[in-house]
Amino acid sequence: MADRVHLVADFNAESLARLLANSVLVGADVTTSPYGQVYQTLSAPPEPDWSVVIWTQPAAVVEHFRRALDFEPVDLERALDEVRAYAEAIRRFAAGVRNVFVPTWTLPPFERGYGMLDFRSGVGLAHLLARMNLTLAEALRDDPSVFVLDAQRWMNAAGARAVSPKLWYASKTPFSPTVFEHAAADIAAALAGLRGAARRLVILDLDNLLWDGVVGELGWEGLNLGGHDFVGEAFADFQRALKGLTRRGIQLAVVSKNDEAVALEAIDRHPEMQLRRADLAGWRINWLDKAQNIVELLADLKLGAESAVFIDDSAIERGRVREAVPGILVPDWPEDPTRFRETLNSLRCFDTPFLTNEDRARSGMYAAERDRQATFAAATSLEEWLSSLNLTIGVETLTPPSLERAAQLLNKTNQMNLSTRRLTAVELEAWADDPRHTLLTFRVADRFGDYGLTAIVGLTFADRVGHLTDYLLSCRVMGRRVEETMLHVAVARCRAQGARQLIADFRSTPRNAPCLDFLRRSGLREIETHRFVWDAAVPYERPRSVALHDGSDLVTPADR
Amino acid sequence: MERDQTLRLVFEAIDQVNQQLPAAKRLAKRPDTVIVGPGGPLDSLGIVTFVIALEEKLGDALSRSVQLLDESVLSDAEGPFHTVGSLAQYLVTLPVA
Repeated sequence: MADRVHLVADFNAESLARLLANSVLVGADVTTSPYGQVYQTLSAPPEPDWSVVIWTQPAAVVEHFRRALDFEPVDLERALDEVRAYAEAIRRFAAGVRNVFVPTWTLPPFERGYGMLDFRSGVGLAHLLARMNLTLAEALRDDPSVFVLDAQRWMNAAGARAVSPKLWYASKTPFSPTVFEHAAADIAAALAGLRGAARRLVILDLDNLLWDGVVGELGWEGLNLGGHDFVGEAFADFQRALKGLTRRGIQLAVVSKNDEAVALEAIDRHPEMQLRRADLAGWRINWLDKAQNIVELLADLKLGAESAVFIDDSAIERGRVREAVPGILVPDWPEDPTRFRETLNSLRCFDTPFLTNEDRARSGMYAAERDRQATFAAATSLEEWLSSLNLTIGVETLTPPSLERAAQLLNKTNQMNLSTRRLTAVELEAWADDPRHTLLTFRVADRFGDYGLTAIVGLTFADRVGHLTDYLLSCRVMGRRVEETMLHVAVARCRAQGARQLIADFRSTPRNAPCLDFLRRSGLREIETHRFVWDAAVPYERPRSVALHDGSDLVTPADR
Repeated sequence: MERDQTLRLVFEAIDQVNQQLPAAKRLAKRPDTVIVGPGGPLDSLGIVTFVIALEEKLGDALSRSVQLLDESVLSDAEGPFHTVGSLAQYLVTLPVA
């Protein structure tokens, strides 16, 4: 479904609406509230499936800021009270729509306030505005459907021309088109993140991207990286920025035309390398076509091309990959290495609505996964290997601490996903609160490490039938009998509820064939195309290689 | 300024305003494209946005402030803002700082 975006502003926001509708979110339904009617709009939300941008000027919303702008004495507490009241109105409004974006308040670049006193507490306008923005952000932080966007970044990007007094007097538009361009791009990125479309993997070249020089010619000792050379320092800094991405749950991989042993030696041994082998989810280092290597790497990592970004210093390689791997993002890349970090950090494709503990821990999982795969290679059978993993699965109903991660998983899981239902955190929580519904979350761990919350089962009970509304599993734990354990728990839950059947209706997407394949070998009967049934009079057997921990009596003792 | 240069600046302002227009209504970067007058796709906000973008680009090129936003000139369907070509020719006559 096309995005639906409604703009609420106390100024003429038509330029932003046109940018969104005609350039940034082409095909989206974009509307605006009548000029200046902010509080009137907040008292009557449009419709539940709209995303709403509420962009105001501080003097229009906070009377005590308007007075301060006229150089009346600052009354900080009363100004902040007004901010809290405004935030409360936004919170009430947000309950009736899909998402709300609130750009922070800014001052025009020419507004110098009290000059050298302008950041003095109790005096300055800049200080007052900073406190107002912080208070607004804090008042809205616990509402998962409200996002405060940093408008100052858009102003900075436009520089001295962030505002045009002539544009204001002629059309009541307080910001230049450049500010709106950055705002529109950030809003589009936020909507993509909420759809689960943020990129999750960065595939990197090596020579002249991670280090200065060609390792095959110079050896790792001859590479320019770090140290006191400004170019070497820029390359090391770029690597630090990439490593920072891994702490946000974004994986790194390498595809490079090189001799693998030579390149890995550089990664392992160069003292200034910020990225090491353990930071990489995978690599293809050989002399084959990069596009083909990328396709194979993505298959190994169980990710689609639309999850990946490819960065290469060679325009020829970028063009080849752009053409041969549809869906992958290949950003234009500067020749100047001092601009690498800036270019990476300017990418909006990583914007996500949540940052979970699973995201932060993901970088540590690569080495564990390689250890796991090494034991697989040594095992004589799949069952022997699975038994050796000591897999444990904890199941519980949705809890508030798990909500963000569950919503994240729901919105970005594509392959092992029965229905590919997409909901915001607020919508998911409301769905789970309905007494006809049960939402179960699964945490998976083995002797090599903790995968965290990696699976969800949603059940809807009606007429003594349990409908499998959601059945989804992170690709990281596919093929380890978690799938069967989820069915075991779902059937046990049906039995505990007195349901006679479990029914699963598979909804096909371009990406979820693995789920259909699993269902067809799961033992459930396919009574008509894509409809699967299990007779709940019979328990669904729990895989012997899995230890199940049921912390909330979801499963009757007989089914444990 | 030479006409080639003024035409390039007009095209740059067109690039900016085109982002706000539906694909079917975007201004073609051709001398005979109508900006103001019958057949022109810009409404009042579009014209203001275009002219202010052009003022900024001219200001940079001439190293001085340029004032083009004039109600009487803008509303004249036969005036210098009628087409891309007439506008580029008009800008040639602006004095350099």
